[in-house]
This record gives sequence, C-alpha cells and structure tokens, in this order.
Amino acid sequence: MSKEELNEKENILRILKEVKHAVKREDVVRLKQLSNQTIHTASIEQDADSITVAVIVYSLSKIIERKKYTNYVEWPSFYKSYVNNINKAITSLEKDDVEGFRNNIDKIRKDINNLSGRFKKYIQDVFRKAEINKASRLYEHGISMELTAGLLGITIWELAEYAGQTGISDVNLTITMPIEKRLKTAEDIFK
Amino acid sequence: MKKAIIFDAGTIINFSINGLLDLLKKLKGIFNGEFLITEDVRYEVVKRPLKVKKFELSALRVNQLIKEGTLKLPSSVNIKDSEIEKRTKELLNVSNRMFSARNHYLHLIDKGEASCLALSEILTRKGVNNVISVDERTLRMLCENPENLRKLMETKLHAKIEAKKQNYGEFDKFRIIRSSELVYIAHKNKLVELGNGMLLDALLYAIKYKGCSISREEIEEMKRL
Repeated sequence: MSKEELNEKENILRILKEVKHAVKREDVVRLKQLSNQTIHTASIEQDADSITVAVIVYSLSKIIERKKYTNYVEWPSFYKSYVNNINKAITSLEKDDVEGFRNNIDKIRKDINNLSGRFKKYIQDVFRKAEINKASRLYEHGISMELTAGLLGITIWELAEYAGQTGISDVNLTITMPIEKRLKTAEDIFK
Repeated sequence: MKKAIIFDAGTIINFSINGLLDLLKKLKGIFNGEFLITEDVRYEVVKRPLKVKKFELSALRVNQLIKEGTLKLPSSVNIKDSEIEKRTKELLNVSNRMFSARNHYLHLIDKGEASCLALSEILTRKGVNNVISVDERTLRMLCENPENLRKLMETKLHAKIEAKKQNYGEFDKFRIIRSSELVYIAHKNKLVELGNGMLLDALLYAIKYKGCSISREEIEEMKRL
C-alpha cells in the first residue's frame, strides 16, 4: 500500500468510526458533516472509495432524518444490515483488508436491490439524490461538470439542474472577464 | 466555413432543459457560420441521455438538431475525429497536471470539455474564426484566469494547491462565451417572441438556474447595457 493509499485508508477509517458514533446518537447533522469531509478528500484524490463513502454516509443521514421510513416492514432488517455493513467495513479496514471493505460497502447497495415496492423506490431515490448532491459538492470544489458527473455515475443533465440552484456561480473569484468584453466577443462572432 | 461556435454539453443541455432549443435554431439562422459539437459532446447530449428515461425525449430533440444540420459534427466540415482525439489527449494531459495537492495531480476537466478546446485550436489553425460556448465554470476559469481557479480550489479544499504556472499560457488563447451571451443576442435580435419588459431578466435567470455559471451581479449589469 502506497503512502497516499495509506492516508486515504486512514481518513476513511476515521470517518466511518465517527459515522458509527453519530448513528448511535441519530446525529443527522454530524453525518452530513462527515460526508462533506469525505468529499474534500474525494476532490483531491478522486478515488472511488471516498466518493462511495460520501454517498453512503449522506444517504444514511437522509434515511435517519425521514422517520416515515421506519413504518415499512422491511425497515428494521434493512437498517440493521446497513449499520452492520458499515461496522464490518471498519473491521476490514483495520485489518488492511481493502477488498473486504469494498465488499461490505457494496453489500449496502446490493441490499437495496433486495427491497420491494415503494420502500425500494424511496431508498433508491435517496441514493440517487445523494449522488447528485455529492456531485454538486465536487463541482463546487472546482472539478469540471463533466468530470464530476463521470465520477458519480450521473449525467451532466442531472448535475446541471442541481448545480444551477446553488450559489456556486455567485462566488466573485469565478468572474473572470468584464461582462461587456464577453458580450463583445459574442456580438463580434455574430456580425 | 469562416466562422464557428463550438458548443460544450452544458450549453445545449441548458437550452434543452429550458425549452429553448428552437432558439438555438433561430440563432443559427442569423449566424453566418457553423454550430459545431464534437463526438465526445454528442455522447453527453445524445447517446448518454438516450439511456436515461428522464432525459430520453430531450436527447431525441437534440439529435433532431444534428439531423437537420443546426448542429454539425466536425467530420461534416472535413475535420477528422482522430485529429481532435489526439489533441484532446494532449490537452487533458496538460490541464490535469496543472494543479496538485498533497502530492496528487488534480484532475480538472474531462474529454468532452477538452475536445472543445482541441477543435477550437484546429479551427483557428485553419483560419476559422471561432468561440466556445461553455456554461460550466471550471473550463472557463482554466482558460481565462487559472490563478483564480487555484485560489478557489485552495479555499474549498482547505489544502495548499501547487500550480505549474508555466502551463497557464496553454489555455489563454481560447475565447469563451456562455448561454447568457447567446440569449442576450437572441433577445437583442428579437428572436424570442414573448413581448414583455421582463423577458431578458427571465431568460438570463432561467439559464443561470439550469447550470450557466453567471453571477447575479453579471446579470444585472447585462440588463443595464
């Protein structure tokens, strides 16, 4: 394992351990913060593991936040398995078993396929929206729209709709040319 | 061909989501040149969304623009895809090794965006006056003010960003416009048939909220011009 991979592993391990405690307290705000911390790392290293963890943790915060899910019959077993898989992922990382970690994280996604009816649709929707939300965060960090969409497995169409509603374009640093000059460029080409 | 506008995926997606693809046709009508998209951009605006139910119809509409010639592929104006592909790879190599943090190169842009730059270079070499229409922020900042992009990333990532400043010049030759400038021109030429004093404001905010990187400050300034 290279130094970078080791740092990455340590970071994910720290985040997941904190996730475990936040879940016990049902601390939704902390879970969202932890997901955002993962996105910082993902922006730099653009590694699939950090991105997946960011989505899993953010989705978990949304699932805990919306109490209506608890009314579904499949809820207790799904939630128990979700948390168990996070715990097993932690154990795997502690043993430097990266494959084991990935398998356990994958199991969370696979569990969704085993759900049924409206509950399955709700959870799938939570994950899709989490992917778009995290993509928007990556874009906010300076990664291009196309690259971000590719990393999260979504389309630029989905990202454009979401990113447009954030304040990303109102940051002063992003104004790179006086508006009159850019308009002149456009008008000149149409002459 | 003497003039061309090269479209990145974001601009076409923006026009499509806002129901303004007809406006693109009208703009083409007053433009004495070609509207071009690369194969990589076609993938993002047609091939990929055709596989997503939510965007299938939009993809078909964009494809229709290609079929009827409003949007053209470089091959139809005798520019080889292999030539674009080769230069795209080179530009990706430079752009994605420009910044680094914690010993990692920061990948900034992807194929579609880089292919627009490659096509622009090739057209310029052939003496074709061209601009690139890009709505997303990163590519525009990379070309027009990479130092601002470095600062922005440093702030957002809470990490020191090292830059190969000698490569900044590689991208400063590209000329960029956005959806906002296109709707401004459409409005000025009375191509939008909605007679209301609020029209320009409505158009500019509509495209802002669908991904065009333009600030409120810029919109208000544009309205005053």
